[in-house]
Amino acid sequence: MSELSQYAILFGLSVGVFGFVISLYAFARAIGRARAEPGKDVPATAGTLSRDPVWVRYHARYAGYALLFLAFDMEMAFMYPWAVVYREEGLIALLDMGVFLAILFLGLLYGWSQGALRRQ
Amino acid sequence: MTVAIVLLSLALGAYLLAVIERWAVHGHLSLTGPAWAALALLGRESVLARKSDRLFFEIGPVLLLVAGLLAVAVIPLAPGLIITDLATGALFLNAALAYVLVALIMAGWGPNGAYAMIAGWRFLGQFIAYAMLIVMPITAVAMRAESLSTVQIVTSQAQLWNVIYQPIGFVLFVVAAMGLAWLPPLDLPDATGELAGGVEAEYTGARLAVLRLGRMTIILALAGATVTFYLGGWLGPWLPPWAWSAIKIMFVAAAMLGVGRYMPRIREARYLALSWKLGISLALANIFIVGVIALGSGPIDFRLGT
Repeated sequence: MSELSQYAILFGLSVGVFGFVISLYAFARAIGRARAEPGKDVPATAGTLSRDPVWVRYHARYAGYALLFLAFDMEMAFMYPWAVVYREEGLIALLDMGVFLAILFLGLLYGWSQGALRRQ
Repeated sequence: MTVAIVLLSLALGAYLLAVIERWAVHGHLSLTGPAWAALALLGRESVLARKSDRLFFEIGPVLLLVAGLLAVAVIPLAPGLIITDLATGALFLNAALAYVLVALIMAGWGPNGAYAMIAGWRFLGQFIAYAMLIVMPITAVAMRAESLSTVQIVTSQAQLWNVIYQPIGFVLFVVAAMGLAWLPPLDLPDATGELAGGVEAEYTGARLAVLRLGRMTIILALAGATVTFYLGGWLGPWLPPWAWSAIKIMFVAAAMLGVGRYMPRIREARYLALSWKLGISLALANIFIVGVIALGSGPIDFRLGT
């Protein structure tokens, strides 16, 4: 199977899910529909719509982790091709990536010492 | 044909898993229970919250199902029984499962309810905790198999399963997978009893049915990934390959569901600290150890040790 036809299958699956869900909703609608009643469509809080926008309720206090995450996630993008050719390249590959990982790990330790690994 | 077989077994697996979950939660084993529950969900009214973001609210559950299905597409159930054997299968699995985060934030944001919103954003914090621990163990698996193709990853374990070859990676991956599928004790985004259901709080009727189905698919995809990467996929004596896949996948999924029943829910701050201080260090050590062993046993001139 060629690469292109494989991705065509994956695309077909994704579209198929939408079709499946739409037919499921159509079936549910055929069984019965929601009766419009006042107050039913208010989200679960205290029975009334909240006065302020609700998204102010959550505070992202993991900013330190998030910055470190960016660095590590980029590193992982390099690690995948490296992992595939690792055994071909041998010791050189281990040393190359070892230096890279050591620097990154030192960065993690430095961040830790500066209190980045803490929910602020 | 292959697609139809895999989709059928996925549906069957999801149903069996629903039976097992019902057994774990309510304590009675009923083979027809999930079917009646699903029919009841479809019969119930599906309320749309008043000031909702309609697009996000509708797309969230569907995207979850799409992500789970795309992840299942690269998991081999037997030799030749795989929807798409991509050369970059392991990477594609990661890419597909990344949409779980997007789907949950959409589902949390959509209804404009406080509980759902908090739960959705909380999952972003949980993502930062588990994400690296999904990716880093897979790197070590790819190092041994010298490929990202999931089929080759399975055949590379013919001599010795990865669960023995790299046990640290196995434990890290399973725990991170439970975080990804928000299974207890890592169920921060639906924290029953604390956030009134969280992301699921505003979903009712048919939409909730799709959300639950999506979650079941995600759990099965992750159990399949664990089996493929660490438990030797379809490999095993006596029984035919597909039977081994089925047994292993259902066992891992049931174990992931069962573990959470005996542990208290972990706080977000503690989960983040644990996975970054302990988890990342262990994952790096795992890559290094596997690297040294692979060099020692690899077909190269430059041998380390034996």
